[in-house]
Amino acid sequence: MAKHTGRGLAAIEYPSGMNQNGDPSQAWIKVKPDGRIDVFSGTSDIGNGAKTIQSQIVAESIGVPYDWVTFDNSNTDSSPVCTGTFASRATVIAGNAVLKAAEEVKTKLLEIASAEMEIGPQDLDIIDGEVQARGAPSLTMDVADVAAAATYGHGQLITGTGAELNAFAAITNSETGEVDSPPHAAISYAACAAEVEVDDETGIVRIVRMVQAYDVGKAINPTLVEGQIEGGAVMGLGLGVLEDSYPYYPSPDHRGSHFGSYFVPGMEDLPQIETIIIENPSATGPYGAKGIGEMANNSQPPAIAAAVHDAVGVWVTELPITPERVLRALDAKAAGGGQPRREGKHIVFDEELSVNSVASGISWTSDS
Amino acid sequence: MKAVGARLPRYDGVGHVTGQTTYVDDFRVHGMLWAKALRSPVHHAAITKLDTSRAEAVPGVHAVVTHTDVPQLEYGHLSGLGIPADEPLLAKDEVRYMGQPIALVAAEDLEAATAGVAAIEIEYEERPTLWDVREAFDSDAAVVHRWGNWYPHFEDEMDRRQIRKGDIQKAFEDADHIIQGVYRPAAIEHVPMETQVSMVVPESDGRLTIHSCTQAMYFSLGVISAHLQVPLNKLKIVGGTVGGGFGGKVDTASETITALAAMKAGRPVKWRWTREEEFLASSTRAPWHMEIIDAVTSDGWILGRKMLTLHDSGAYARFSPYGLTKHSFHHTGAYTIPHLHFDGYVVFTNRVPTTAMRGFGVTSVSFAVETHMSRIVDELGLDPYEFRLKNANRIHDTSPNRISYTDPSTVDVLQSIAGATGHDLAPAYAAATREPREGEWLPDHLVDQISTEGH
Repeated sequence: MAKHTGRGLAAIEYPSGMNQNGDPSQAWIKVKPDGRIDVFSGTSDIGNGAKTIQSQIVAESIGVPYDWVTFDNSNTDSSPVCTGTFASRATVIAGNAVLKAAEEVKTKLLEIASAEMEIGPQDLDIIDGEVQARGAPSLTMDVADVAAAATYGHGQLITGTGAELNAFAAITNSETGEVDSPPHAAISYAACAAEVEVDDETGIVRIVRMVQAYDVGKAINPTLVEGQIEGGAVMGLGLGVLEDSYPYYPSPDHRGSHFGSYFVPGMEDLPQIETIIIENPSATGPYGAKGIGEMANNSQPPAIAAAVHDAVGVWVTELPITPERVLRALDAKAAGGGQPRREGKHIVFDEELSVNSVASGISWTSDS
Repeated sequence: MKAVGARLPRYDGVGHVTGQTTYVDDFRVHGMLWAKALRSPVHHAAITKLDTSRAEAVPGVHAVVTHTDVPQLEYGHLSGLGIPADEPLLAKDEVRYMGQPIALVAAEDLEAATAGVAAIEIEYEERPTLWDVREAFDSDAAVVHRWGNWYPHFEDEMDRRQIRKGDIQKAFEDADHIIQGVYRPAAIEHVPMETQVSMVVPESDGRLTIHSCTQAMYFSLGVISAHLQVPLNKLKIVGGTVGGGFGGKVDTASETITALAAMKAGRPVKWRWTREEEFLASSTRAPWHMEIIDAVTSDGWILGRKMLTLHDSGAYARFSPYGLTKHSFHHTGAYTIPHLHFDGYVVFTNRVPTTAMRGFGVTSVSFAVETHMSRIVDELGLDPYEFRLKNANRIHDTSPNRISYTDPSTVDVLQSIAGATGHDLAPAYAAATREPREGEWLPDHLVDQISTEGH
């Protein structure tokens, strides 16, 4: 009886935005008389950091400090359409909506500043809350003064609106699944190397270390990106070795109904996690960003399954990889079983799980 | 300073960690009633009697809502995309899963609401159940859905999602090895700290203010307005701050029924699910059954993939047809495979309906594809990085739907991990890039799939 160490690898990809698109997000912005910025977006924040990310995009695109931005997503009267926070769309799709609204605000601020400073708007930029003449940085005007001039001098309300919609990508051939345009806004990539320790007496799989790399296009906020990646890794760990709504699937019996009978990962389960952020910009996302909120829990289960095989020589392909499943697989291996059927060039695993072993109404082979 | 790229403090972080953020359940208004649901105690049954008159007479009870109170009983979240509705807001003639809501009682306090639920007279005639998606196609399987046991309304009224690319039989003929496996990730719970909750306030101007934990305010707004048959300006959703969602709060699980109770009682109503209801009656991530047969060469090229997916939808369709389609679009993973044959079915069982969850449709296929890749590596004695790098998506490679990739990073992420874990790559693999295929990276079998259209 011993503990065995193993390593496994997985690489994955994941789209941003709803599959086949057709999911609008809209935003509008108004400027207060002191230049402070009010953003109205319909994007719910489910802990993914939508308020922060969209505020950063607005601050950057207008050229004002982050703490000048107020973000209001509190209701459907004041905020325009956002399809929602799912499908890894809050940064890429909704982020583009606030980006467009912010660009319109910046244009209008520069028009007012141009009239006040008597310099063409094309020769002006906004940096850190201050309008500056290009090439003559001593010629400046505070954005606060520009906003006051707009309000009290020009009689104008400075607003901006933005809407993002990628056209629905229709399936043009139901036989082949061909589509008439790209069915996503962007695609992100990631890889995970997992190191596990498997106790061959108890069957317990402990995740020791995860090294993960994510292409996020552009990290709008690296701290929040790391939070998504690390939080997602722990969720993937739960999917890999702990969680199951139906412990005797497909039977509906013995479901967990409270935290004592349904096992989410706890602090004791956390591995060492190392995170690498790669920025291969997308052509479509704000500042090149790609969405990674969801894919963050996709790479760990297969990396863990491969690491368990590396450790003790058994493939567990039903999740989660519970002690019971590990011990049953080890017992089968010790009894000389658990091997694929090899016939000519065919290598067939898991025949006992296949539809062919259970069902009469459907069959599945390489030549049917 | 630059805002984009900066490690700025989280906009709402201090409020969250100091307990000062206001979530839906923190709202209390004068005259607010509490609600409790009657849920099905059985997995599959005809409802032969439903009488709420005794419940309405329970002291403290102000409203009992059933299917008869819903202007449009069935409306699907994806009705706008042409996916027909199949799930009643409140059960009418039958129940198809344990925990399915049948009635909601609004009362002065939870005790009265619970007494009201207990006073509803209801009788069931139980029906056979179906649990194993593999048995759904058998002629003697219990029929658990009015459309049959699997979803029949894909494009052209097809009963499955298909992908076909290249010539799978040629791939099997040309292959040195044909490797087959089965992958079955489990249903899991979303486990948000905040259970499903809503509070609806009938306003003096005739509007409804709906305090909601939805992840998708406008999605939910559309669904509520369709069920209630009122224009959008009669409804105001207050939300945007969600105590954990992970996909489970795209369902608009409580808002519409609470609104009906508030309208009927003429009083504000709050319906907050217990932790037990959250575990047992709220939607889960779907269990999936996936079978992969890959055609591979001894030196590690994947020539073709044949795949069968059975997506356990539970009792109703919800987002499952969408999830299966997304799944099919990504069934080659981060790799380029020229010959494909995919068949996927959305299968109905008597489980709680499954729904969106983080990675929807793709979490499953990532597990299946990558575990299968690891098995191929082991069987053929390949290097796990080099096998993946060889087949990695490159610029101008095409997806299962023949869309050209513009900025793939399979190569980048693998090289990063190899570097970080001290895994030495052979020089050719260390020098590989995401750039379009040429030379040794462009074997004959990958020439025809290359395209520069789309992204």
